[in-house]
Amino acid sequence: MTTPLPSQPAAATGALRHVPDEIDFSCRLPLLVLFLSSAIWLFIGSFCYLLASIKFHSPSFLASPAWLTYGRLQPAANNAVLYGGVIQAALGVALWLLARLGGVRAQRVTLTFGASLWNLGVTIGFLGILAGDSTGFSTLEFPRYSVLFLMLGYLVMGVCGAILFHKRQRQRTFVAQWFILAALFWFPWIYSTAELLLVVFPVRGVGQAVLAWWYAENLLTVWLGLVGLATVFHFVARLLDRELHSYYLALATFWLLILFGGWGGIPVTAPVPAWMPAVSTVATMLMAIPLLAVALNVHGTFAGRFAALKENVSLQFVLFGAATLLAAGVMKIAGVLCDAQQELVLTWFTSARTQLYLFGFSAMAMFGAIYYILPRLVGAGCASTKLARVHFWLAALGVIFLIVPLAGAGIVECFGLQNVKLSFMDVLKSTLPFLRVSTVGYLLLLVGNALFLLNLSRLVVEFYRERAAAALAIATADLFKQAEAKA
Amino acid sequence: MRYGPLVFLSAFFAMGASWFGFVLMPHVQVGFLQQTNTLLAGATYPVGRPGFAREGLDVYRAYGCASCHTEQIGQTATVCDVVLEKVGTNQAVLLNALRNVRPDLSETQAKSLLDQLPQTVLQGLPKEQADENAKALSVAGSKATPWIVPVGPDIARGWGKRRTVAYDFLYDYPVMLGAERIGPDLSNVGVRQSDPNWHLRHLYAPQLDVQGSTMPPFRFLFEKRKIERGVSPDALSLPPELAPPAGYEIVPKTEAKALVAYLTSLRADAPLFVAPLSVAAPPETNAPAGDMSSTNSPATNATAK
Amino acid sequence: MNVERSSSENERQAVSRPVPVWMMVFSLLLVFWAMIYFDQHSAWCSPVVYKPYHSYKEVADHNPRNEGPDIAHGHEVFNAICSLCHGMDGAGKLGQAPPLAGSEWVNAARVNRLVRIPILGLNGPIEVQGQQYEFTSGMTAVAASRQMMSDKDLGDVLSYIRQAWGNKASEVTAQQVAEIRAELGDRTGQTTVKDLKQLPEGK
Repeated sequence: MTTPLPSQPAAATGALRHVPDEIDFSCRLPLLVLFLSSAIWLFIGSFCYLLASIKFHSPSFLASPAWLTYGRLQPAANNAVLYGGVIQAALGVALWLLARLGGVRAQRVTLTFGASLWNLGVTIGFLGILAGDSTGFSTLEFPRYSVLFLMLGYLVMGVCGAILFHKRQRQRTFVAQWFILAALFWFPWIYSTAELLLVVFPVRGVGQAVLAWWYAENLLTVWLGLVGLATVFHFVARLLDRELHSYYLALATFWLLILFGGWGGIPVTAPVPAWMPAVSTVATMLMAIPLLAVALNVHGTFAGRFAALKENVSLQFVLFGAATLLAAGVMKIAGVLCDAQQELVLTWFTSARTQLYLFGFSAMAMFGAIYYILPRLVGAGCASTKLARVHFWLAALGVIFLIVPLAGAGIVECFGLQNVKLSFMDVLKSTLPFLRVSTVGYLLLLVGNALFLLNLSRLVVEFYRERAAAALAIATADLFKQAEAKA
Repeated sequence: MRYGPLVFLSAFFAMGASWFGFVLMPHVQVGFLQQTNTLLAGATYPVGRPGFAREGLDVYRAYGCASCHTEQIGQTATVCDVVLEKVGTNQAVLLNALRNVRPDLSETQAKSLLDQLPQTVLQGLPKEQADENAKALSVAGSKATPWIVPVGPDIARGWGKRRTVAYDFLYDYPVMLGAERIGPDLSNVGVRQSDPNWHLRHLYAPQLDVQGSTMPPFRFLFEKRKIERGVSPDALSLPPELAPPAGYEIVPKTEAKALVAYLTSLRADAPLFVAPLSVAAPPETNAPAGDMSSTNSPATNATAK
Repeated sequence: MNVERSSSENERQAVSRPVPVWMMVFSLLLVFWAMIYFDQHSAWCSPVVYKPYHSYKEVADHNPRNEGPDIAHGHEVFNAICSLCHGMDGAGKLGQAPPLAGSEWVNAARVNRLVRIPILGLNGPIEVQGQQYEFTSGMTAVAASRQMMSDKDLGDVLSYIRQAWGNKASEVTAQQVAEIRAELGDRTGQTTVKDLKQLPEGK
């Protein structure tokens, strides 16, 4: 079903105008829901992170209501950013890519329904954590009663995505399509396993912790990695108007990521037999190979085109994402290789690496993709490039001001904990200056996410206003004609 | 890859491998664990937490304590000490052996050492050396044993006597091992800090007993109520700046008491086959028991190796 | 107005460039390292080996050795050697051996006399629980030397006998056996009840 285009809309800038076609029309509503919701959740999540970070400098800040205590705020923020922000954005980009690369129209209503279910699940879950019903498992804190909504919402969207792939125009697949297809299957599998064996029929003892680590690693490294890499590979090539550097490197990345990615989650201090951390260490080291492949691929495709980088905000976001993926990988490998691994793994260093992955890689790659996709869906040029540029710098600086101090805090804490002469309070005090700087990072990220939300909202509001104006014009055209005839 | 099914199959295979390796195998190895026995004493381990402590575990979960505290400690190595426990029948021979093993001791020092048994004679040796030295000291009925000592930064910091193992969490749900040490590790806090009142004060106003702590106060776990028929035994004793106005008292709610019951039940120091350590046996002869106030090992004047 | 129409025909496939050889070499080296690391650190998926131990043997070595007699081992020794004459249930066999269950020789508080019986053998009449027993050629010295039965084994089996079938007596340590063997020195030849009764019951 198509709607008539506004004939000469007063667009914000005179940039390259994109005429949406059928595929864009079919994607528009579900993707608007997904992207706007992800912007809202990113904002909410960053805000909660900021509040949590401030509590280090003033422990009694917002300590009185039970629902704002650090132990509830922090997991709530984490889950909001992860499930509400990043995963939704990733799903939107993934579905668009499947539709676009397959040349198939998306299932507009069904996808919107799925997206709404997912959002409902995230909302219920977020409020549930604040109410004290968190499951207690890291990255899986959403309470039991929200799981069904999340699972159903994802299944609806996942099945639609699989159908999109199945009905594709060409037999030969694009690189991004393999990654996204694997991701579509990956999430329900790990999510249902984790929920069944942790919440519904819990396994006994430390098996729960192993499962929770397995799930977190699969979600972050594999699922977000798959969709993020699909985005990176597709958009780097697209925005530079080139082909991806090497098909076989991409193939190697795909295979090695799904083979090794999910094994790296068990920390070395875990109260489990030695083979589990050993296998995790081995898998983390072997992940160096797909990361190397990504580096080579992106570098080969980019091949020094810095001029294009300066103009194109999307490209800046996506390349920043790719760079931070590699940085996060290096951090993880350095973490397992160093001698003080036992102490380092339970410090801020691991948290820094996870945040780098979330805010640096996943979020930035999705921002880049969304700034490309959304204007195309609504038939505008890239509305407010200026806001997007400011957002980029805020986000980039935010990531740097967040991660570098947290990593520093982790290293300082590690050395401090190894030195028995220092009391624990001394070690904690030595990390506090770093944490103060990281609060600034959270602030920058919050402002950046606010700008993102603002940008998207303006785009969407203007689009609908134009449509409303056009619809009004059409509806009242008869009246004017009659008035002219009378006059 | 040209075909969809191939992508699906590769994802399926990788997923299956991951599931087999880190879901099924841990479940088989760790999920079906049964109780075990402690070393030497043969007591069953672990016993389930008492009911109130289990409620406390739920409170721990509901307030996200695992965001700041871990319950896992590591161990970097195991060394052996040699402990001389009993003199036996021939002190002269033992003195000789002792001075062989500890050339740094003078005659008088060695004699006075023999008067204060049990004593750690050598520290920090690898197992074979410790065994040899113990055998060398076991002459004429004297008793010298190699004493197993786990070492590591966490253990040195007093957070535990040995690493945490799967048995320590056998009956807990959910198992919250924590990932950040914003606060100290709690796996043995029931040993370090067994006074429930300390914990209650700490929850109410962490900065009272721990200067500069970043732990938020959990005042909502307490209630201020009018003193009716006399001060309640549960009432917290607080300094003047935090004390409630006259006629009122601060009492912990059930949640707080449950949480503290859980915290004081946390201990992971039983010697097990998978995490051996030597603990002083209960005294059965009239030999003096070792000094148990700070560490497990008896008193020592040994030079650390 | 510049327009751009998108369609999937505009999408480009990746270039079929191969993976660089140096990367394949690097990967193989990494896999090689991974295998060595796994071999050294994983104890091949043993469920009882926790870091920092590397193998089951290391864990077992670091367990404090149990110093007392091993009853289970004593049971094995009993089944292998003693039960042939004294019966699996310690009730003795007609014409072969007296009962051990409830025997006052077995249950004596001190073991000086009991330990000598397997070391030297026993000939002549013996009274057990009010009954007289005598067997042609008596009991052989089943533990005449350390090669036949070590101090620990003899201590273990005697400890087992002293707490089996309703017997309730203390353990016999290898140390005690060694002391008695030292006292006996090179002496061979079966002892008799008369000789045993001249010895003190124990220290």
